[in-house]
Amino acid sequence: MKRNKSDAPSALADVTRKRGQWSDVLSRLFRNKIGLLGVIIVLLLVVLTVFAPLFTRYPYDAQSFPDRFKLPDASHIMGTDNFGRDLWTRLLYGGRISLLIAILASVISNFIGVFIGSVSGYFGSKTDTVIMRALDILMAIPPLLLAIAISSSLGSGPVNTALAISLSGIPYSARIIRSTVMSIKDSEFVEAARATGSRHLRVIFRHILPNTIAPLIVGATLGIGANIMAISGLSFIGLGVHPPIPEWGSILADGRAYIRDFWPIIVFPSIFIMLTILGFNLFGDALRDALDPRLKD
Amino acid sequence: MSLLQINDLTIHYVTRGGTVKAVNGIDLSIEAGRTLGLVGETGAGKTTSALGILGLIPKPPGKIISGQILFEGADLLKASQGKMRMIRGNDISMIYQDPMTALNPILRVGDQISEVIIQHSGCSKAEAREKSEGMLETVGIRAERAADYPHQFSGGMKQRAVIAMALACNPKLLIADEPTTALDVTIQAQVLEMMRELKDELGSSMLLITHDLGIVAETCDDVAIMYAGEIVEIGALERIFHNPRHPYTLGLFGSIPSLDKDVRRLNPIPGLMPDPADLPSGCKFHARCAHACDDCGSGSTELCETERGHFVRCRRVAGGEI
Amino acid sequence: MLVYALKRLLWMLPVMLGVLIIVFTITYFTPGDPIAAMLGPGYTPERYAQKAAELGLDQGYFIRLGKYIWNAFVRFDLGRSYLSNLSISDEIAARFPITLCIGVLTIFVMAVVGMPLGIFSAIRQYGAADAALTVAALVMNAIPAFVFALLSLILFGVVLRWLPVNGLGSWKAWILPVVTSALPGIAVVMRMSRTTMLEVIRQDYIRTARSKGLKEGVIIRKHALKNCLIPLITVTGGFMTSVLAGSIIVETIFGIPGLGMYLMGGIIGRDYPVINGSVLLISLIVCILNLVVDLLYAMIDPRIKAQYSAKKGKIKKSGGTLPPVNEGGAA
Repeated sequence: MKRNKSDAPSALADVTRKRGQWSDVLSRLFRNKIGLLGVIIVLLLVVLTVFAPLFTRYPYDAQSFPDRFKLPDASHIMGTDNFGRDLWTRLLYGGRISLLIAILASVISNFIGVFIGSVSGYFGSKTDTVIMRALDILMAIPPLLLAIAISSSLGSGPVNTALAISLSGIPYSARIIRSTVMSIKDSEFVEAARATGSRHLRVIFRHILPNTIAPLIVGATLGIGANIMAISGLSFIGLGVHPPIPEWGSILADGRAYIRDFWPIIVFPSIFIMLTILGFNLFGDALRDALDPRLKD
Repeated sequence: MSLLQINDLTIHYVTRGGTVKAVNGIDLSIEAGRTLGLVGETGAGKTTSALGILGLIPKPPGKIISGQILFEGADLLKASQGKMRMIRGNDISMIYQDPMTALNPILRVGDQISEVIIQHSGCSKAEAREKSEGMLETVGIRAERAADYPHQFSGGMKQRAVIAMALACNPKLLIADEPTTALDVTIQAQVLEMMRELKDELGSSMLLITHDLGIVAETCDDVAIMYAGEIVEIGALERIFHNPRHPYTLGLFGSIPSLDKDVRRLNPIPGLMPDPADLPSGCKFHARCAHACDDCGSGSTELCETERGHFVRCRRVAGGEI
Repeated sequence: MLVYALKRLLWMLPVMLGVLIIVFTITYFTPGDPIAAMLGPGYTPERYAQKAAELGLDQGYFIRLGKYIWNAFVRFDLGRSYLSNLSISDEIAARFPITLCIGVLTIFVMAVVGMPLGIFSAIRQYGAADAALTVAALVMNAIPAFVFALLSLILFGVVLRWLPVNGLGSWKAWILPVVTSALPGIAVVMRMSRTTMLEVIRQDYIRTARSKGLKEGVIIRKHALKNCLIPLITVTGGFMTSVLAGSIIVETIFGIPGLGMYLMGGIIGRDYPVINGSVLLISLIVCILNLVVDLLYAMIDPRIKAQYSAKKGKIKKSGGTLPPVNEGGAA
């Protein structure tokens, strides 16, 4: 009795989910307190950055020489930077860029990853071998270095940064989708569909891809956190987004010169980066638990 | 004094989803040298009872609510961890259902047997190795295979190795939890035969857990039928087999195909075993019982002795109505 | 087994060739004129042509690629830096040991701190310590190594003034770089050990070990731990990749003259041969690490060893040089 409890719902029953189960997923998600915290952090960040002008009375590029290096007070809640710009404002506007790039990059890499991964996983044999070998080569280059190489070639700017990061992430999302597809491909309902004469495309779109949605959503959410990390890293070394566009990594890079004398310019961007990654990680973990209840006991 | 005497043992699993009442007040005893067959469907609480004897119920969620497990007169439930460790593998050892997963995949088979010998006899590594090779020979595996890893063994060989491990310290009681269920039918008979011989050689007692009445008939001296965490019928093998009284036991026999009689269909027991997290009141079997009357759904039903040494947990049998 | 290792080593050749072509191609098609940058303003067309010929930049893509491959693979010569005109192979050889040292120390700290904490967490599942460690791991995993580096620089170098924050003058100077690179990894290793340990202690063979009367400590050490190692080696090996890649930022922050700082200089100066060479070398190390990880699997798990030996003729189907899942994100 006790031994069999964990594997009670069979894998097959689980892949054949119906629409009504999405409300199950949501209710499981909201019952998970830590996951809820992640959702709240993410929502808060999105609202703060998207409606940034509502939460600050300064423009992000308004310089004011007399106000340089102000410690946090009532008028500048997080102080000002070396040009007298309000740090809180710059972090909010910077968050727009960071989040936008991170989400864009995640969408691009997962989109291409789904295509490559499902072709590779579904057709198997030679197609699979060739694709996997190519991915092996790409994966031999650490993703950050690949992003650096691509980014230094494409040049800076939000779109190029998103491209650089998404390209370096493709092999990883492709592999996840491939293994999911391969496990679903062998399940009985797919064999049944093929036995009754469904064509490849129909089998892929109708039977296989819907079942990759769960790992895809989880991967994409967790990917956003990792992308935030990569973007800030790229900007920090001067490749991602350049000043005067505010971006968390480039704010940190600018602030590095003043690290000995003025802590807010390092500490506040760090907190923003950390909270964002934490939020997306918690959200992604909670989504995974909610989408795949078998993992929880 | 019996070798093992279990009194009123109750074990529950307490989870957020509710309390699973796995074992509900079982009483049984095993005399030295005898074999007791514990029979029941999956989920009847057989394995939980066995793990309870060894003190291996995972806590949490497991919880021993009440009872005594007297082994040679001492209550195992009150024994210290250290004392239990000295008993496990030495006085009482266990053979598990699935030989595929019971052996550690990354340790050599011989070492896994030596380990238990060293633990309990304190002998040297070399002596233990010699002894474990001897044990392997006893169960029909060549000694040089001791250096192999479990994945190099077939299923039947793995189970033999597990048996060698269990018998390595001449235990007084051997608990075998469905030892042949995972094996091919042809291997089943061999393994069973071997277990019986070895047990007789060592003079051990055995608690054989199974759902297969055929195995019970071949191997056991006494039989206890378990249903929903309770023992519903217990007695000597011949009595239970020749004169089964509890409607559930009758149902079990009725669902076995017979070679002698020409029956077109088997007679399965209607319905399913109740969810142990939500047991019915009264007799646990009444909802599936052809003989149930209104009374069966309430109150508690006690074991009652219908003939000498043959106990049945059924009111209507006790009342002489069936 | 040996055959398998050799096959894998052989397979590294095409992988490295592929990496080389990718990296070379990316920088080849990068807009910008390194010669103009090198010569500075006010050069004559003759001077320009002369410089281009000197560097071989007047030739076509395939000729340059061919030459680069020949030099890199046969002569281990990665060319000269546009900026300093020094041999890149020599420069890398001088700097890489520092980066490798920090990397190895990082991995060591990661494993030595992360594993026991994770196992402790698993054994005390749902206890207070488990909860605290879980929260700590979540937070640690959300902080990029370079943010850690900056924050610890403020705390230990500026506020408390306990530790040096630049260069590698004394042994103390190694502490911050190693610890800040290791922290995200500690979180990952901790979580991973916890999950695997929880998984492993539910296995039947652990119950078998318990029913033999073994002590709990022996069960954990002898039966459970080794079975946990495979996923742990995977994440640890994978993390070495991110540590090497992340060295570019950490070394820059702490002023450590290693490979990362060299690469950073190459990026700032648009010194493409330097970028190519460094990326190539790091990729080579990643490939070697993956091989080492796979061979370690075989040492731990006899089943995997048997699998390797059985497939003598072929490279394992699921992939030759799979870098393990990169848990810690890019930086």
